[in-house]
Amino acid sequence: MNVAITGTGIVSSLGNSVSEMFENLILNKTGIKALPDWQRYNGLYSYVGAPAHQYDEKQIPRTTRRSMSRMSEMATIATFQAISQSGLPLEKSNSRGLIILGSTSGSPETLEAYFTKLIEKGGPEGQLSTSFFKVMNHSVAANVALALGFNGPVLAPSSACSTSTQAIILGWELIQTGLYDFVIAGGADELHFTSTSIFDIVLAASRSFNDAPENASRPFDKNRDGLVVSEGAGILVLESEAFARKRNAPILGLIGGGAYLCDGEHMAHPQAESMFSTMRLALDRCQVSPEQIDYVSAHATGTVVGDTQEALATGKIIGKDVPVSSLKGHFGHALAACGAIEIIASMEMIRRNLVIPTRNLNEIDENCSTIFLPKTILQKKLTRVLCNNFAFGGMNSSLVLCSP
Amino acid sequence: MNQTDIITRVNTVLTEGFEIPPEKLQPESTLFQDLELDSLDAIDLIVYLEEKLELKVDTEQFKDIKTLNDVYQLVQRLQTKTV
Repeated sequence: MNVAITGTGIVSSLGNSVSEMFENLILNKTGIKALPDWQRYNGLYSYVGAPAHQYDEKQIPRTTRRSMSRMSEMATIATFQAISQSGLPLEKSNSRGLIILGSTSGSPETLEAYFTKLIEKGGPEGQLSTSFFKVMNHSVAANVALALGFNGPVLAPSSACSTSTQAIILGWELIQTGLYDFVIAGGADELHFTSTSIFDIVLAASRSFNDAPENASRPFDKNRDGLVVSEGAGILVLESEAFARKRNAPILGLIGGGAYLCDGEHMAHPQAESMFSTMRLALDRCQVSPEQIDYVSAHATGTVVGDTQEALATGKIIGKDVPVSSLKGHFGHALAACGAIEIIASMEMIRRNLVIPTRNLNEIDENCSTIFLPKTILQKKLTRVLCNNFAFGGMNSSLVLCSP
Repeated sequence: MNQTDIITRVNTVLTEGFEIPPEKLQPESTLFQDLELDSLDAIDLIVYLEEKLELKVDTEQFKDIKTLNDVYQLVQRLQTKTV
């Protein structure tokens, strides 16, 4: 059973609509900025990040918004965009639809405020009634469901940087069962110094470009020194193709298939072999051969080890002729949202038949020379794209995206 | 705080904390119907009153509050107690 994408929504460091975001990609812009205020945090040495473009949270009614942190606000606004584009009739179909949305954790901003006050007061005195709804692990999914008045099943997968890709693949799997007609899938995360700290303490966040933030995220480049955390939300409406066609929904793309595997070997050290296995399984599941892949959207975050392992795995499966690029130099790393955002960007590349190259790729690291890394925009007919995301915990995910 | 200060500061809490338009804030306005607050908002209103007006509010005292004027009077009583 084919699974169609009928709506997309995005809030990101490069814009809050698909068209704005993609125009900024074509212009080779980056959302990464200097965050000198972060110098006040002892033990943190990375002072760069990519905040989302400003959005109007007031479009969400107060009684719904009061339980939302920024990650839920961004997810809700992106969901409104996606639903509007797809024209999905939510109120009539809830028992045949699912919401699958995740984040890396509950709101770090609210967690900081909550525990700061808890320690200051020596107990829960003075806590707002809505704090928990912002820090619970399924905050994004529950808040979006509330905003939509959705009364069907809601799931909240969480696997850090693989979250939204897993959500989309899970949506594809569940539509395949025939139990569901549609899935609203994706992820969101908000920028906070604790998110950067997680990477900084394991020497995986960029530290050398605090004074030149636009150059900080440089996947596959010889002088890369770590990732830059971003934020945002990426949402897709998935439907069985039959359901979508019956209601004359726009078919923007098709999910060929996907797979997610855990490497089970190391919490933080990416394993090329496991990445390869995940890509291989994704291709097998949709009966696509490596030769049929026209472009690979890499996870590559700009870490020394991760990019090398990914280049090894990707080169082993698709060789050196297929263009590969990472968009982390443009967006930064939006954690739970990055997969969905990159899939949406890949859909737009398919629609326009062009490949956006990796930003800041001045000198390709020889350890990453196992793949073809274009340095300029490439005009190419794109029919099938392999989208990869890999996360701490050995959480690997690969998805095949097809033209409609 | 005199009565005018109390009204100003309570109303500020309601406009800033709950986005209620100032013109809706009449003494006879009921919290749950006219101002459209609910039980979660009531808990947060107590937190804000304690924080912004430096009071200690017992949730039991808040159970009988129905109108905005009831809130003003409660703040007046609590302020007197504190003094």
